[in-house]
Amino acid sequence: MNRKRLVLLLMLMGTTFTSGCWDKTELNEMAIVSAVGIDKNEAGRLVGTFQIINPVNVAGSLQGGGGTNPSISIYRATGDNVLELDSNASTKISRDMYFAHANLVVIGEDVAKEMGINSIFDAFERSPEFRATTRIVIARGVKAKDLVETLTAIDKVSAEKVIKTIESTEKQQGGSITINLQEVIKNLVSSGKEPLISGFTVRGNTNKESKIENTQTSNMAANPNAVGIGVFKDGKLIDWLDGNQAKGTMWVLDRIVNTNVNIDWEGKKDAVTYQVLRQKTNVKPKMKNGKPKMYITVRAEGDIREVNAPIDLASPHGSIDIEKKLAKDIKKDMEDAIKLAQKNKSDIFGFGELIHETHPAYWKKHEKDWDDVTFPKLEAEVQVEVFIRRTGIRNKPYLLDIKKGDQ
Amino acid sequence: MVSFFKQKRQMKQRDAKKEDQGQSKTVDYIESSLSANMEIVKQKTGDSPDIIIRTLKISQDPEIKTTIVYVQGLIDNPSVTDFLIESIMKNPHLSEKILPQKALEVITEDVVSLGGVATVNDWEKLFLSLLSGDSIIFVDGINTALVASTKGGERRSIQEPSTHLTVRGSREGFTESNVTNIAMLRRIINSPDLWIESMKIGTVTKTDVSIMYINGIVKKEIVEEVKKRLKRINIDSILESGYIEQLIEDQVMTPFPTLNHTERPDMVAGNLLEGRVAIFVNGTPFVLVAPALFVQFFQSVEDYYNRFDIATATRFLRIIVFIISVVGPALYVAATTFHQEMIPTKLLVIVAAQRETVPLPAVIEALLMEITFEILREASLRMPKAVGSTMSIVGALVIGQAAVQAGIVSPAMVIIVSITAIASFATPSYSIAISARLVRFAFILCAGIIGFYGMILAFIILIVHLCSLRSFGVPYMSPLAPLNTQGLGDTFFRRPMWAFKERPKLISSKNNLKREGENQRPLPPESRGMKTSTERKGDGNES
Repeated sequence: MNRKRLVLLLMLMGTTFTSGCWDKTELNEMAIVSAVGIDKNEAGRLVGTFQIINPVNVAGSLQGGGGTNPSISIYRATGDNVLELDSNASTKISRDMYFAHANLVVIGEDVAKEMGINSIFDAFERSPEFRATTRIVIARGVKAKDLVETLTAIDKVSAEKVIKTIESTEKQQGGSITINLQEVIKNLVSSGKEPLISGFTVRGNTNKESKIENTQTSNMAANPNAVGIGVFKDGKLIDWLDGNQAKGTMWVLDRIVNTNVNIDWEGKKDAVTYQVLRQKTNVKPKMKNGKPKMYITVRAEGDIREVNAPIDLASPHGSIDIEKKLAKDIKKDMEDAIKLAQKNKSDIFGFGELIHETHPAYWKKHEKDWDDVTFPKLEAEVQVEVFIRRTGIRNKPYLLDIKKGDQ
Repeated sequence: MVSFFKQKRQMKQRDAKKEDQGQSKTVDYIESSLSANMEIVKQKTGDSPDIIIRTLKISQDPEIKTTIVYVQGLIDNPSVTDFLIESIMKNPHLSEKILPQKALEVITEDVVSLGGVATVNDWEKLFLSLLSGDSIIFVDGINTALVASTKGGERRSIQEPSTHLTVRGSREGFTESNVTNIAMLRRIINSPDLWIESMKIGTVTKTDVSIMYINGIVKKEIVEEVKKRLKRINIDSILESGYIEQLIEDQVMTPFPTLNHTERPDMVAGNLLEGRVAIFVNGTPFVLVAPALFVQFFQSVEDYYNRFDIATATRFLRIIVFIISVVGPALYVAATTFHQEMIPTKLLVIVAAQRETVPLPAVIEALLMEITFEILREASLRMPKAVGSTMSIVGALVIGQAAVQAGIVSPAMVIIVSITAIASFATPSYSIAISARLVRFAFILCAGIIGFYGMILAFIILIVHLCSLRSFGVPYMSPLAPLNTQGLGDTFFRRPMWAFKERPKLISSKNNLKREGENQRPLPPESRGMKTSTERKGDGNES
């Protein structure tokens, strides 16, 4: 009896050892990939650019030295699909590439426009290492490699800089959209919604971006910037949204967090700045005469942050006028954004999904021609309510006092 | 896990012992001739110079020879000289004519002014008394001797205990003397129900071992079990309570202690009041307490002296500390060699930068550092105090500075090992801290082989093992497993004193579980507002 148990025990213990160290990788045996760029060469093959973190140079002062060497290293490979890029790159890298910390995938504009993004993401999604929360951006006007190669100053790893910049742009301005792998794939699959992906470019001297000198000046020669939002249709990039179009889109998508809204006042351009503190956008489809109509209501609440016109904010009329004007401006931005999307025949707002949810019978009939026929003709009514919560730590602008003194 | 190996062996041993005890011993009785007796004493003790034989003469016509035998250093000098020798020499009763047969009676009743006097007639008992500090009075012609209790001699005075230190609470610690220790408990628990049973264990050392319990609170079965196990012991010597602990514990193959030991009388008192049994061993300040539960090792007496919220918070801290001391380095090894995706990118980059120059795999690095730390700890424990500080400097410099700068170990590993080391010292019970250290190495190995998966396996084995343990029949993990909701109030939590309604169910006697009366929760006086206002009026000292 005891012998049997002993044998069983030994066998059980043996199993733990037979598994071996199958997954074991020491930290100094792996290359931590922070960003992947995907371009296309003239021959139509994919060119992958891998940004690999050079830990010693990032951690900096720890081992003395550091900092003077670039914190990232770039490896390039050519192939016909994404996995081939990975395996071809291994001829150049001494270590195993580790993708669990690759937080950014940059797609070249030409890839997005000509090849489309449909066939790219499977390898990323299937890989156990890749995260579903990896952010996706489009390199606008430059190659993806340019963006991946760029050395940046404050965030030493440029992937991190790109992600943070998009996040802060979305939060502060509403001009970018943070979107990850999972969301992009979800939107690609959905027939009632098209993906939006932020654009990113490198401004300035694009020959210097991969040199260490780039980070050694206070005014970087080449600096990655967030620019606009890319609109996709059937997996291909068809248009860019900039400025107010982007903001209007973000309003409809209910993704505005803290954006500033400027309004003109008595002929003076952008005289009043209003900062949204919180807002809620509700989109509801309703059937009217057998056709759906989108009712979009926005309730925004915020502060007045700048007044360059003599408006008496203390009087109820002053603020009500501003509120009305703000509502009108926001409404216009949103309507413009919707019109543009309809012109592009790309349902970036997910109106289709909403109709699918609320009126499945109608959706069934129109699913096939939604993007090209139904969506461009869809009616939308926008209602905006703006509320000024505070006026900063001052009520009347001092301009009002100056004007009075003049009299 | 190993219990099935040992059962048979134990059975065999038990059988062997029974046979041993079955052999009858021949008893040697005291002779009536004094000189013959003295010869026997001298012969038995090898004529050791510390055995003092003082011969006196009592009575007249005929003079009777009397001998007082005692061991130098073990007796209390004043009582032997003043109350024994002087009384016998100068007592008027003894200068009269006495019949030799009556001499003992006279000495007992009229002469010796000591508390404990008894008669013995067999040598074994006589030597036991003699060598534990009693004085023996022989009278020529009588085959009975008188034992006068004169125990004394130099002993360590009561000092503050060096383990289980507390900020608040009694400063008394046990000493090496059983008599003193038992008296200390008597002073705390003034109840006739505090029962003590004594026995001598050790065929050579004849160490005085006493068990103490509170009759009525203790479970009868546990007392019986303790007594049974103590009686089973057949060993030449008991030099410390650790001997007893190892001979009576439930499960031999476990790194976890199934008996608690303490130097604090208040801790023993608290345990007795929960229905536990204390085992006092002469010659050591460490008193054993049985049965011991896993959660007990995370409790300090101070938990009960502090308010419950603070006590609960510290207990949670101790659990965290214990977990860190068990899995700390293993977690680091597993995360950095198998599960890099779980480390935030920035942290990973920093750790990777540190590991860049380290030539060893993380497991080996961890084991190396842990072993180095254990060496340091062991060395600092055993070294003379004067050298200790030199060594800690060398240790800190060599490991903390040189090894890191040379790139042999990473600073992160030094941090992890230091945290683990501090954590293992922050565990209130030293015995469970040692267990944690032992288990830690197993965890590091498992983590090094198959990462978190291995750690989880090790953890499951650990939990199963802990649940399989018993301490004197009480499940080691109770009241967690088996779950006892009432008992949970004194585990990782410490319920408020006014809500401590019951004693632990599995340990205390079932008939006497009630610990405190109803409505013990303190309340403010009902007419508080009124009172304070009148007080304020009357109190003119404020300004």
